[in-house]
Amino acid sequence: MRLLPSIVFLTPSTGTLKFGFPPYGCMADDSVSRRSFLKAAGAATVAATSTAGCTGLTGGGGGGGTLVYSRGDHPTNYDPQQTTSGEVAKVTNQIFDTLIDFKPGSGGELTDGLAEEWELNGTTATLTLKEGIEFHNGEELTASDVKATINRFIDDGYEYFLGTENRSGYSSVTFGDWVDSIDASEDYEVTIQLTQQYAPFLRNLAMFAAAILSQSQIEEQGSNPDDQAALGTDPIGTGPFQFEQLDNENQRVQLSSYGNFWGDGPNVGEVIFKTIGSNQTRAQDLINGDTQITDNLDAQSIQQVDNSDSASVVQKNGINVGYMAFNHARKEEFRDPRVKRAITMAVNRSAIVDDIYQGFAAEADQPLPPDVLGHNDDLEPYPHDPDQAESLLEEAGATDLTFELATFSNPRGYNPSPIQTANQIASDLDKIGVDVEINQFSTFSSYIDYTYGGQHDACLLGWYTDNADPDNFLYVLLHPGVEASSLSDDQRYISFEEKGNASNVAAWVNKDYVELVDEGQTTYEEGSREEIYLEASQIAHDDAPWMFIDYAELIRGVHESVNVDTYTVSSVGGPYLELVEMN
Amino acid sequence: MASKRFILKRLLLLVPVLFGVATFVFVILHLASGDPARVILGQRAPQEQVIALRQELGLNDPLYVQYGRFLLDAAQFDFGESYKIAQGDSVRSVLADKIPVTLELALYGQVIGILLGIPLGVISAVKQDTLTDHVGRVGALSGISIPIYWSGPMLILLFSTYLSIFPASGRIGSTIFLDSHWTLLGMQLPLTGMVTVDTLLLGEPAAWVSAVTHLFLPAMTIGIYSMALISRMMRSSMLEVVRQDYMRTARAKGQGSKITIMKHGFRNALIPVITVIGIQFGGLLGGAVLTETVFGIGGIGTMLVAAIGANDYPLVQGTVLSFALLFTLVNLVVDITYSYLDPRIQQ
Repeated sequence: MRLLPSIVFLTPSTGTLKFGFPPYGCMADDSVSRRSFLKAAGAATVAATSTAGCTGLTGGGGGGGTLVYSRGDHPTNYDPQQTTSGEVAKVTNQIFDTLIDFKPGSGGELTDGLAEEWELNGTTATLTLKEGIEFHNGEELTASDVKATINRFIDDGYEYFLGTENRSGYSSVTFGDWVDSIDASEDYEVTIQLTQQYAPFLRNLAMFAAAILSQSQIEEQGSNPDDQAALGTDPIGTGPFQFEQLDNENQRVQLSSYGNFWGDGPNVGEVIFKTIGSNQTRAQDLINGDTQITDNLDAQSIQQVDNSDSASVVQKNGINVGYMAFNHARKEEFRDPRVKRAITMAVNRSAIVDDIYQGFAAEADQPLPPDVLGHNDDLEPYPHDPDQAESLLEEAGATDLTFELATFSNPRGYNPSPIQTANQIASDLDKIGVDVEINQFSTFSSYIDYTYGGQHDACLLGWYTDNADPDNFLYVLLHPGVEASSLSDDQRYISFEEKGNASNVAAWVNKDYVELVDEGQTTYEEGSREEIYLEASQIAHDDAPWMFIDYAELIRGVHESVNVDTYTVSSVGGPYLELVEMN
Repeated sequence: MASKRFILKRLLLLVPVLFGVATFVFVILHLASGDPARVILGQRAPQEQVIALRQELGLNDPLYVQYGRFLLDAAQFDFGESYKIAQGDSVRSVLADKIPVTLELALYGQVIGILLGIPLGVISAVKQDTLTDHVGRVGALSGISIPIYWSGPMLILLFSTYLSIFPASGRIGSTIFLDSHWTLLGMQLPLTGMVTVDTLLLGEPAAWVSAVTHLFLPAMTIGIYSMALISRMMRSSMLEVVRQDYMRTARAKGQGSKITIMKHGFRNALIPVITVIGIQFGGLLGGAVLTETVFGIGGIGTMLVAAIGANDYPLVQGTVLSFALLFTLVNLVVDITYSYLDPRIQQ
């Protein structure tokens, strides 16, 4: 049996080391094999770590302990290049580092990661790596690791290419569309040539999918893509925690602190990610102290945590947006901004945010959430005004408007109650004579297939940021993905066949907007870039290709055994568990 | 005892049943919308990457080619790799991980159901229309009527939150990790995946205690439901049997009523109860979905729901076929037990 440092715990009265059986089976056994991190941490840490090996159950010890992070899902592969799942990222962000990082607790501000200096000049990105950083296998990080990592992800000519069937959709979005060549001839300097000028590139380097892998591990996996895919079951990075084991039967991942971590922390001896599907049980587990931090709580379980004496709720503005997209390619009426504004004004969005989302969100007025560069503070949500909505519809000659509203069923962060939201929209629109037929999808992947295929009249969707860059919203969600020169000045939509950007489900076209977003992609000076996006946000607000619904907050439950001041909820990147301290 | 011929005949019948289930699952899944390539690559992937992957997965082949390929692989119990839920893992290995989890839960639930349900049914029947009988009947009725998603959280609230006797979730203490093999006479042998068994094989009594305390509430949740059905069936079956002529004859021969009931009545009354237990066991495997969700246990039930939700075709196909196989095997065991209790059934 592999046992955690929990085998030994201090008796508070005497301060002596004692073996024993705390509740629920944290137990003693001299024959157990010690984890490698104990060696690394040194004997002095043993007592401290051991003290809190069962922290979830018995209370923590300073500078060590076990942090149990509960979540709703248990992926079985922790390769950052094979997934778009946030559940995987929560774990890989502990194991791996990126060249540039998001500053903990900021709204996406960049700070150094593995690189101490970085620069994007024209089409050349130059990064200087910190010296002396070691992977968990003891090898030093050099520029060749960076090159091998990127090649594994995007270059099908590379011997250790991950394979088209294995790599995630981030492959092209993060690197593939932009990287032309990589020079790693010097040990600590990486030069990346881009195919074109691209301002968000540095932010892409901070995305979890851009985490740096070990070249020796990549090569040890071999040239068969299936063997490469297996890297995710034994990941080796440079991060604050090293991978210990994946327990699929019990849906747990065990990480131990890495003694040679180059940054601040870690302050706990180990982290265990465990999975509890039910929100209520997860909240209860937190209240009982068997979980230290949990996420994705719904309104009811937030209340449960809030009412308890042993745990608290921590909130932060998220970088996300929830919206109803009008399909301009399918429904002619939606090409008239008056119709879209009328629909927006007819729907009581503040009721949706306050009642259906229980106030854990703010009403949206533009595509960019507040913390993102280019969010236009001068804009206000359209007022809730059914009378004006009716007049606008009359003016536009769309009084007998009917449309289908497609919706997914299961809650997502930006829309915790999609069916209720759809019903509210239909009911509000019915009051001004607009007939809405709700088309409900039980699985999200079918729903994405349907909406990305353009079969909807209107649909509920949303977006979490990947890199906190305005382009990640304005290009990804509203740019048609074609050259501005191919569009005419008065063009209002693009067909789904012509469109080059799958996630623009509104198929909306506004040439001025397209030109601005294109310009924003190639403008490096932040002030000028902000000006561009302020204007683009204004156009999107006025033309209303979506009914803007909400920017959802991020909610976490934290047990009292955690020093809550050391835990920062991250709107992008993280969670930064290496900074967390136990009480 | 059941003859070999009887068992063989039953086993052969499995082939058309499984073929039917396989075809049904294939058709249903392919009628459903949702592009597996999009499922694998996610919402962020550009369309070109999705199209390339469709080609690579053979999803552009005609349906009959895909069906043929599926049947051929299914016959070897090879369902390929999971698209999403356990992305990249073979369905076979995922099932090997998950089936013991659910099986363990269902088995303990069933054992609790049988141990409580049968005596309760017999007592109710023997003490018909007394206060004991009324209490037993109301208890059984409540057990059937109370849904698992209510009884589960209530048990957590009582035993975990207020009394702190049992933990609320999981299968073993968060900080206890077991080895992947156990050793017997110097040989490394694989574990069963059932944590209450594995902890014993590994010689870890304290971990075993942790496993049992963790399993208690979920098994009880299932057990209460199972107990209710069994006791109701046992009661009515027993009442029917005690009215039979041979029971009266036994009593007329001077045998005491307890001996008559246990020796002659009980065995005969068991036949319909065993039918219920058999059918119910299949149901329990499915019913474990709710229990697993409430108690944070990652069994096959929760995984199947997630796989359906994510259009993870290979995983759904593999799981449904395994369920069908397990269900028919349990029924086979039930049939064999019948023939043991009443040899006329083989005829």
